[in-house]
Amino acid sequence: MKLSFLFFIFLPLIVSAHDSEISLLAKRLNLSAGSKAIVQWERVFKSTRKMKKYKIDTLTNEKKEMLKEYLIQHAIDSDQPTIAGI
Amino acid sequence: MYKFILLTFLSTIIGNAAALQSEKELTNKELLQEINSLKKELQELKQSTQENREELEDISDFTEDIEATLLKDKIEFGLGFKTNLDNFNKKYSNGEHVRNNNIWSNKLMLNMKADITDNMKFYGKLSMYKYWGSSAIHPYTYYDNMQGRVPSDSSIYAERAYLNWFFYKDSAFPMALTIGRLPTSDGPSHQFKDNTVRKGTYTALLFDGVADGIVFTTNISKLLHNKNSYIRLGYSKGYGHTESSQTAGNAFIGASNSDIDDTNVVGIFLDTPLPNVKNSLVQLTYSRMFDIVANPLDTNISATGANDNIGSLDLLGAMVELTNFKETNLDLFAQFGYSIAHPNGTSYMLPNGELVGLLGKDGDTSTKSGYSTWVGGRYGFGEKQKYKVGLEYNYGSQNWINLTQGGFDIYNKLATRGNAYEAYMMYVINRNANIRLGYINIDYNYSRSGWFVGEAQKISTVDSADVVERLQSVYLKMNVHF
Repeated sequence: MKLSFLFFIFLPLIVSAHDSEISLLAKRLNLSAGSKAIVQWERVFKSTRKMKKYKIDTLTNEKKEMLKEYLIQHAIDSDQPTIAGI
Repeated sequence: MYKFILLTFLSTIIGNAAALQSEKELTNKELLQEINSLKKELQELKQSTQENREELEDISDFTEDIEATLLKDKIEFGLGFKTNLDNFNKKYSNGEHVRNNNIWSNKLMLNMKADITDNMKFYGKLSMYKYWGSSAIHPYTYYDNMQGRVPSDSSIYAERAYLNWFFYKDSAFPMALTIGRLPTSDGPSHQFKDNTVRKGTYTALLFDGVADGIVFTTNISKLLHNKNSYIRLGYSKGYGHTESSQTAGNAFIGASNSDIDDTNVVGIFLDTPLPNVKNSLVQLTYSRMFDIVANPLDTNISATGANDNIGSLDLLGAMVELTNFKETNLDLFAQFGYSIAHPNGTSYMLPNGELVGLLGKDGDTSTKSGYSTWVGGRYGFGEKQKYKVGLEYNYGSQNWINLTQGGFDIYNKLATRGNAYEAYMMYVINRNANIRLGYINIDYNYSRSGWFVGEAQKISTVDSADVVERLQSVYLKMNVHF
């Protein structure tokens, strides 16, 4: 019990700043995740022509994967939080 | 000689002129051919353009049909579906052991969303929750805050139905009014076990269940210089007295009664992320519940020891949640709750004849304070974190009381006055489905966990076949949300 209480008290202190570059990358490429559905984003990443169109083809495979994950996570039909007033 | 030279010169000129004439003729021919070819191409192009135009018109008609269909489909539906297998092992305070194995249940959730205008959106959730092979109506289903939250018959209940009305969207402090059957269930940090995103507004350690009310939300991100910061003021009715429930045949709904007051709940809530910590949430809560009713289902309100208002309750909470902490696939949360019950000395008679008040005995007016902590974590591993393991622990003191009667799971573990441990493994089948195998162990230190009426007695001093001392379950759950 005491341990859990201490964990709760000190948790905010043990975290450090971190921000994702992927959202910035998407912004830089002019890609708005909410403009497409999940399957449509999947189609983009399967098509060389479409990747070229969105300038995704110039990215490394790792970045491509991360960007794909980000865009799918925030796609128009992705699972969204349900919270009052948001 | 001069003649010869002149003749040669003339013949050369004439020869060149003839050759030039012939070249000119050839170029004209070619040009003509070129023109003809271009004409042909132009004709083809015209034809193709015409065809394209016709095709475009067809596509435009088709697109309009799709648009019309989309506009006609005013409500967007989503699916939630859960199948649970529980194997219970209960130890009662008299030492008796009872096993209930192979208990299956299904929960169907139809999630609704409608974008009425840019400034007004509707959300709803219709639920059916039942045990396999049984459509017996669970008595708790009649409690308003438990409808659709406890396994009962195959009826569909409205678990959520609310409007979000946004205004001053472009101002420094955008605002929203949320009205209806609110998103008060399955709040943080239950989403980790469901492998979904946050599905409720309020900390699940304090509130979990169905509630009707109004919430006013202001975005204070600019004030705190911290994105996604909100202040909420809420009002809800925990119990609304209706005359129709008092006397059969009297359908005078909503009439007030001098013998019993409605239970009203007000609260203030702050949501904000930890500064510079991605995917974090801090929530601070204060709420007060006025005029708690002893038994919302008891229609007898005028006799001695009958249903009545028994006091009020303050609930305070603080929580921190970190999702995918530092991109390590580790999710962590810690919550703390504090309850202060103010009994007014009014007594209520239980079916066994015992007279009880709010968290105490007959006539007891002393303030009862309790607290609870809930901590846990989940770690994802394997390709695309297809595998996850999670651990949760919560502790509640003797007089801990909260509003989780319509809780996330049937154990209502967050109301425990004692220790509860839960461990689970999850296999993520795909983005929308997962299977969870888990074990839960609840050791009750005090009786009547989750009950507003009656004194919480130390379990070791109770010898009863009705009081559970230890509850264990090995469960298997399949969860689909789409």
